[in-house]
Amino acid sequence: MTQRTEQEHGPEVRMSVGDYGPAGRALMRVCQVLALIGGLFLIVVTTLTVLSVIGRTGFNVPILGDSEIVEIGVAYAIFSFLPYCQMRRANVIVDFFTARAPAIVRNGLDAASNVIFAAVVCILTWRLALGGIETFQRDDFSMFLQIPVWWGYLGAFVSCLIWAAACLYTAGHRLRRDG
Amino acid sequence: MDDFTLGVAIFGLTLAVIMARVPVGLAMLAMGGIGYTIIAGYEPLLNTLKSSTYERFSSYTLSVVPLFLLMGQFATKAGINRALFQATRAWVGHWRGGLAIATVGGCAMFGAICGSSLATAATMSQVALPEMRRYRYSASLSTGTLAAGGTLGILIPPSVILVIYAVYTEQSIGHLFLAALVPGIIATVGYMIVVAAFVRLAPGAGPAGERFSLKIRLQSLRDIWPVALVFVLVVAGIYLGWFSPTEGAAIGAGSVGLIAVVIGGMRWRELSQSLLETAEITALIFLILLGAEIFNAFLALTQMPVELAKLVERLNAPPMLIMIAMLAVYLVLGCVMESLAMILLTVPVFFPVVLSLDLGLEEDQLAVWFGILALMAVEVGMITPPFGLNIFVINAMARDVSMAETYRGVLPFVASDVVRILIILFVPWTALWAPGLWYG
Repeated sequence: MTQRTEQEHGPEVRMSVGDYGPAGRALMRVCQVLALIGGLFLIVVTTLTVLSVIGRTGFNVPILGDSEIVEIGVAYAIFSFLPYCQMRRANVIVDFFTARAPAIVRNGLDAASNVIFAAVVCILTWRLALGGIETFQRDDFSMFLQIPVWWGYLGAFVSCLIWAAACLYTAGHRLRRDG
Repeated sequence: MDDFTLGVAIFGLTLAVIMARVPVGLAMLAMGGIGYTIIAGYEPLLNTLKSSTYERFSSYTLSVVPLFLLMGQFATKAGINRALFQATRAWVGHWRGGLAIATVGGCAMFGAICGSSLATAATMSQVALPEMRRYRYSASLSTGTLAAGGTLGILIPPSVILVIYAVYTEQSIGHLFLAALVPGIIATVGYMIVVAAFVRLAPGAGPAGERFSLKIRLQSLRDIWPVALVFVLVVAGIYLGWFSPTEGAAIGAGSVGLIAVVIGGMRWRELSQSLLETAEITALIFLILLGAEIFNAFLALTQMPVELAKLVERLNAPPMLIMIAMLAVYLVLGCVMESLAMILLTVPVFFPVVLSLDLGLEEDQLAVWFGILALMAVEVGMITPPFGLNIFVINAMARDVSMAETYRGVLPFVASDVVRILIILFVPWTALWAPGLWYG
């Protein structure tokens, strides 16, 4: 049997609930629940779209504004998936060039990129909040169903806050492992 | 520093940052943002960011992506991987290398309801790996076949990368799906030829298996009808415009989900597993899409892609040489990078160049043809060492097989990939005929 020496070239291992301390575990649970809610939105969107196609082609009864519900539902789903992906450490990275570097270098780079990540997500969350407030003040509605646009922004904002928390947590987690 | 130089510099810097383990989407987002600020100041950027994140994620055209991903995850729970493997195996299993050929066939059919390379490789491994082991197939052949077979998942429509390419280059998703059909068949046949040659050169590698009666052979075909039905409905429906791609993806996800519940016995536990898997992949793709949006906005400001296209035009090099050079970049990048990230990073730069090439083809022909070629070139990256995601997945499932053995097994398939890319490069008809883009 040959030795599996090449193992260190493999992709980074995903993080699970058990890999974190008490705070991280709680946060991971929150992110999982959020991702599952997002997944249910995706299923609702799927069902509604299928019904809409059947209604349109089979019975000539289209569901008015179905595409608006698709847009809002899918957007909510995507926002609610982001924190989970972050906690799982699933984002695409290129680890080929650093695979042979000492662990301290790799952890240092990861900590640095997680800090940048946290900063960027905080900026995104801040701007998204402002954008949401503007649509509220402008009283923007969707065309067919008259759904207020800020509803979507509000849902996205809550997810973004958790996303930012996940980024800050993972940054701290990596920094501690570095020291 | 003029804008062109800035564009090139930031592009290079982004690559450097990506090599230093910064997530690809984050690197594009941050570096694109920095470049944007240098040219236009921070106020326009901050202004854009108020709405761009939400608008990107609530785009109707891109909503097809999570729905196809959900369909792919349901497919892994649909319990039809065995039936698909069996459908080819009943016919060719008694040949030398027959089980490996059946694996390729099974992967191709699974690819018809799943747009992801990794999910195809992992799901087909569950049935094919134990069977090939039972018949004492060599470790190289069995893991190599599965790693390569997995790439059929993304080439044969529906394909998530083609969807995203179509959205970014403003091409029809239906055209691209149909364009991938003939190349997908060529790929399947090519892989089968590789297996046949492999067992001829190394006779012990793939012993003949059991022979099945005609009755069982015909029965095995009956079991795959749900897959055939979903595939034809979704791909034909989108191409013929019965419904939008998003609606097609929803129909696909819904029907494969139904198959998973009825045949695969999917319950709450499996459902939440597929939802969490979908969540993970969707999130990582949309982070890259968000990064690409800001990065592309910056590149557009610098005019770098257009200038580069003009520069290439002035080179007066043979257009085919330029095509080959671009595809070679994908092959090299593919050794270390993930495929979607490569497409989103390079398409804004390469696409204007492609459109400027004088190959006697119309713009939409060039766009579709290049999309298929680029997809195939980046997919080779899934199975080229050192960073081939499919290889890692298979290797993780076949614990006793060394990475070196898998690498050896995969190399002949890489060779067949290169031959196929050359065929489609020199005979554009292969990609353009099916979507009706070949005007004689």
